[in-house]
Amino acid sequence: MNWSATVRTLILCSILVFLHYTLRPLLAWRASPDFLIIALLLAAVRVRPGVAAMIGFAIGLASDSLALGAFGAGALAMTLIGFSWSKLKAVFFADHVLLNGFFLFLGKWVYEVVMNVVERRMQGAELLMQILVWSSLSAFVTAVAGVLALMALRPVLETRAA
Amino acid sequence: MARAARFTNRFDIVLFGACILLSLVSMVLPPNLREPVAGALRRSLVAPLVRLQRGAEKWRGAYLTAEREELRRDTLALAAARVPTLEADNDRLRQILGLGSKLQWGFIPAQALQGRGRADDFTITLSAGSRAGIRERSLVVAPEGIVGMVQTVDPSMSLAILFAHPDFRVSAMSADGSAFGIVQPHIPGTAILNPSQTGALQSERWMLELRGVPFRSTLKPGAVVYSSGLGGIYPRGIPVGVVVGEIKTTEAWARTYLLRPSVNPAEISSVMVLTPQRGTAGLNNVWAEVGSVDSATRRIVAAGDSLARQAASAEAAARRAAIDSAVRTYRDSARRDTANTADSIARVIPGAPVIPRATAPRPADTAAARPRGDTTRGARP
Repeated sequence: MNWSATVRTLILCSILVFLHYTLRPLLAWRASPDFLIIALLLAAVRVRPGVAAMIGFAIGLASDSLALGAFGAGALAMTLIGFSWSKLKAVFFADHVLLNGFFLFLGKWVYEVVMNVVERRMQGAELLMQILVWSSLSAFVTAVAGVLALMALRPVLETRAA
Repeated sequence: MARAARFTNRFDIVLFGACILLSLVSMVLPPNLREPVAGALRRSLVAPLVRLQRGAEKWRGAYLTAEREELRRDTLALAAARVPTLEADNDRLRQILGLGSKLQWGFIPAQALQGRGRADDFTITLSAGSRAGIRERSLVVAPEGIVGMVQTVDPSMSLAILFAHPDFRVSAMSADGSAFGIVQPHIPGTAILNPSQTGALQSERWMLELRGVPFRSTLKPGAVVYSSGLGGIYPRGIPVGVVVGEIKTTEAWARTYLLRPSVNPAEISSVMVLTPQRGTAGLNNVWAEVGSVDSATRRIVAAGDSLARQAASAEAAARRAAIDSAVRTYRDSARRDTANTADSIARVIPGAPVIPRATAPRPADTAAARPRGDTTRGARP
């Protein structure tokens, strides 16, 4: 990735982080899109797996700082997701929008599962309901938002030949 | 070339492993080591993001207000529909003002920001921090009762755990002081609820449990549970919850009760943070006169009963008087009617039998004192 692409990716990720802390409170949905996950995907498929893991760790730790009971859980989940996405990008979903959407869904769902399991705040049927219904719904909304964002940003993200 | 690829792969694995290790370490860090890291992040990297979120929530509030204004302008009916909301807001503010006036000193008003992220269901961010005088382990209360406890304090904001947080515990008692126990969050699935309880509850997630109540002490549904002040953190007399019913747990030597929290988590917006000095000074007469609630209730009921008895006896006396009066009136008129009928028959049919007048004693100033010329005796030859 050259400097121009790096700067573009950084700007777009910043916009997504901005949206996460502005659009989500404005919408105030129970299953709202997770723009941090979308930003992580955007960055992870453009960097090396190790760097993607570091980015995921940083984003997760920052979001964990506001959660007293789950410090480190978000960092763990984001690290796993970032590294996996970066590893899988060449094999499965280089630039395919729908595959990106599917992996966004999967990533967000895995994130929710990890958080729910690590926090240990729910048990039994309630945990199952949270994972199967609300986490899936949240993952779906995130995937839809991610696909829309990727389609809108595609002209900006494409590397232009010199 | 192959060596370079192997090196970069190994480098990625090492970075990944380091991140995973750091994440795991962060998860198991003790609070006194974890808090400096989290606090530094909050004050540096996350602070502008929280400010962004606060701004977004203000925008949302403004948007909702504008929408409501538009609806109000549209039709009078919608404006009327807004009245309950205004009343609720007004009531809420009155309650806050009332609580402030009862507390008199040693409290810091703060706004509670909720719903910051996935993992913050049981914590709230308060808009006041150490600059405003908030300290760690300060109590957070609302007009309805206990909200939680401040866990972390930054200069301009602080984080508090709610009563539903897994770490929350408070020593509690019934209003008359006959039952004591420990209140802790209710974890769904760990206790057996009655069918009536499960039917009445929409979600067990925010409920509380009063554990360790001696078997000789029973609490009825609807009884209010207050903090007892025995734990040393929460002073005596703050409402914690209302008894829903008894539940079966693994604790065979004591009773456990399911409580509905006094404070609705969805309605936590404005709160009061008590300073440690205020908590030490006690909170008697702020929420209730704990200990005399039952006797006061009994006195009120007894007074109501005696008033009801008085009213009933007065009503019965009035009814009796009305009946007596009606009976007297009826008797008099019947007597007069009988006499008139007999007279008229005698006048019309000569030789007809004389119907004696009413046998009831008559006053001296009636027929006996005024002999009538048209009587039967006078008409006969």
